[in-house]
Amino acid sequence: MTSDPTLTARADRRLIRAHRRSQRFVLVGVTAPPATQERDRLPVNLAFVLDRSGSMSGEKIALAKRTVDEALGHLDARDRFSIVVYDDVVDVVVESTPASAEARRNAIARLSAIDARGSTNLSDGWFRGAEQVASHLVAEGVNRCLVLTDGLANRGLTDPAELARHASELRARGVSTTTFGVGADFDEVLLQSLADAGGGHFYFVRDAATIRDHITSEVGETLEIVARDVEMEVVAAEEVDVEAITPQPARRRGTRTVVSLGDLVAEQVIDVVLRVTFPYGQIGRETGVIIGLTDRDGVFAAGGRAGASDARLAWTYADDAANNEQPRDADVDLAVATQFAARARQEAVRLNRAGDYVAARQVLDATGRRIRGYAGRNPKLREIVGELESEGQTFSAPMPAMALKEAHFASANLARTRDVFGRSRKER
Amino acid sequence: MIWPMAQAQTPRYSLAELADLAGVTPRTVRYYVSQGLLPSPGASGPGAKYDDGHLDRLRLIRKLQREHLPLAEIRQRLAGLDDVTITALADEAIPATAIDGDSALDYIRRVLGPPQAQPAAPQLTPPGSLLRRIPTPAAATTSAPSVAPPAPTPEPRIERAQWERIGFGPDIELHIRRPLPRPLAKRVDRLVSIARDLLEEDPS
Repeated sequence: MTSDPTLTARADRRLIRAHRRSQRFVLVGVTAPPATQERDRLPVNLAFVLDRSGSMSGEKIALAKRTVDEALGHLDARDRFSIVVYDDVVDVVVESTPASAEARRNAIARLSAIDARGSTNLSDGWFRGAEQVASHLVAEGVNRCLVLTDGLANRGLTDPAELARHASELRARGVSTTTFGVGADFDEVLLQSLADAGGGHFYFVRDAATIRDHITSEVGETLEIVARDVEMEVVAAEEVDVEAITPQPARRRGTRTVVSLGDLVAEQVIDVVLRVTFPYGQIGRETGVIIGLTDRDGVFAAGGRAGASDARLAWTYADDAANNEQPRDADVDLAVATQFAARARQEAVRLNRAGDYVAARQVLDATGRRIRGYAGRNPKLREIVGELESEGQTFSAPMPAMALKEAHFASANLARTRDVFGRSRKER
Repeated sequence: MIWPMAQAQTPRYSLAELADLAGVTPRTVRYYVSQGLLPSPGASGPGAKYDDGHLDRLRLIRKLQREHLPLAEIRQRLAGLDDVTITALADEAIPATAIDGDSALDYIRRVLGPPQAQPAAPQLTPPGSLLRRIPTPAAATTSAPSVAPPAPTPEPRIERAQWERIGFGPDIELHIRRPLPRPLAKRVDRLVSIARDLLEEDPS
């Protein structure tokens, strides 16, 4: 059993400028506790929402169905599930039911009768799946809608921002959303923002053969969750500005900034990078931030299973000479550079897809230059700069859809402390 | 060492600090206190201290004003709310969770459109609007916002019928309305399996 501290925080530098505004970065590490034997896993309430539009026909729909069969095999009578299929019409194949052996057998029989046809009304399929989950919301469990698609949403609601708004409203009411995009034709921005706002995960499924791996790992994760709705709260002085540069949703409340980390599985690690902006101040004066964790199950609360004591960081106002000579924390620098590189890549994917090749290259070049500015002799930082330079070449010409999706998924996972397959990580 | 937020759990603000955080003038704060929109800070004068409860209330008042609600009505609406609800409503990024009658299911049904059996009450405000989530006190049910908010954007509606369609190759489909009584469901399952044997045979 590991004895890693639950919450750690490190700053890139500890001095701030007296006569100018300063920006400093903080790397916050969160580690979820291991699963315990005395405490049962949380029950899950899942809706499987499958695209049955024409493009899914053949191998894809067959594998999706087989995977759902298999996923159901991991549930038991304390869980619930439902199955929804959609094209331009939405069909509830199995209404929300406890996952008894009989219900699972019936579901499999019904599912086997589904064929692919029609166009893609993703939003209605998703809403109907969420409705099934919501109609039997399990207060003490994990309530989640898993949406699989291989195409562009071309019916119903299709605006990513609007769908994300609904996802965030549903999340606040206890229903989270995970998305799976299969092949080259779906919209990764839409599925990513749906999952981010929805408190779930986005998976890029390269080909039909890996549908099984991704759905199985997501269902496995829901069965392994130890803390739900984990939030990191950062308290700073009023005039100090705190923002997360990692992609987790964040909001500001008075002197507090709250970053939503979602549901964490046993022993999951997650890194959050904060940018802290200080006003000028008197030489010698100190200022600081306090970072704490909360969650719906009280796991991280003082006295909880993983009772996390708050992390405190302090900075001291100093003159320019002292500021220029201060040491830097190389690990924090690396985390910051990784985040900015990931952001730049996602932006470059968007621009390349839109046909703006010059801008796609510029965004990578500019980020590379900025990192070079503080890379010094740090080999890992120089490596990132080198990667961004060579990617600039690639992105300055039209790229195949699959390559863009690969690039998006790789950087999205890096930014969210997830592995190359989109799975949660248990080691840093 | 200075911890500006040493009392992180219950920050205390001076009048000027509170006004600054909420984006109003100190005069406005005093006016709201005198009008009963904000609780009195206890002590008066320069030593008066305000807390997060005051801040959230102030932010919610500002928001409701942006929705063109008169102060008198705002006061009535706020009167029935507890601190937790006020905090939730004041926070733009988090949709309210703690409000009765607005569960995930209510939300989805609102987006999908009302079930045919129960016609929806006329909507004065857009479905996602803040006003909708604040219960109107009984006495104030007739007062509508003085300026109508923008018309609700039409939300998509989908068919409520639970038809399952089963295809047997490209040309033949069977439509079944679910749920079926159990004995019938069993017979239909047999039908489907026989139909599949008959119609989905590999032609080679």
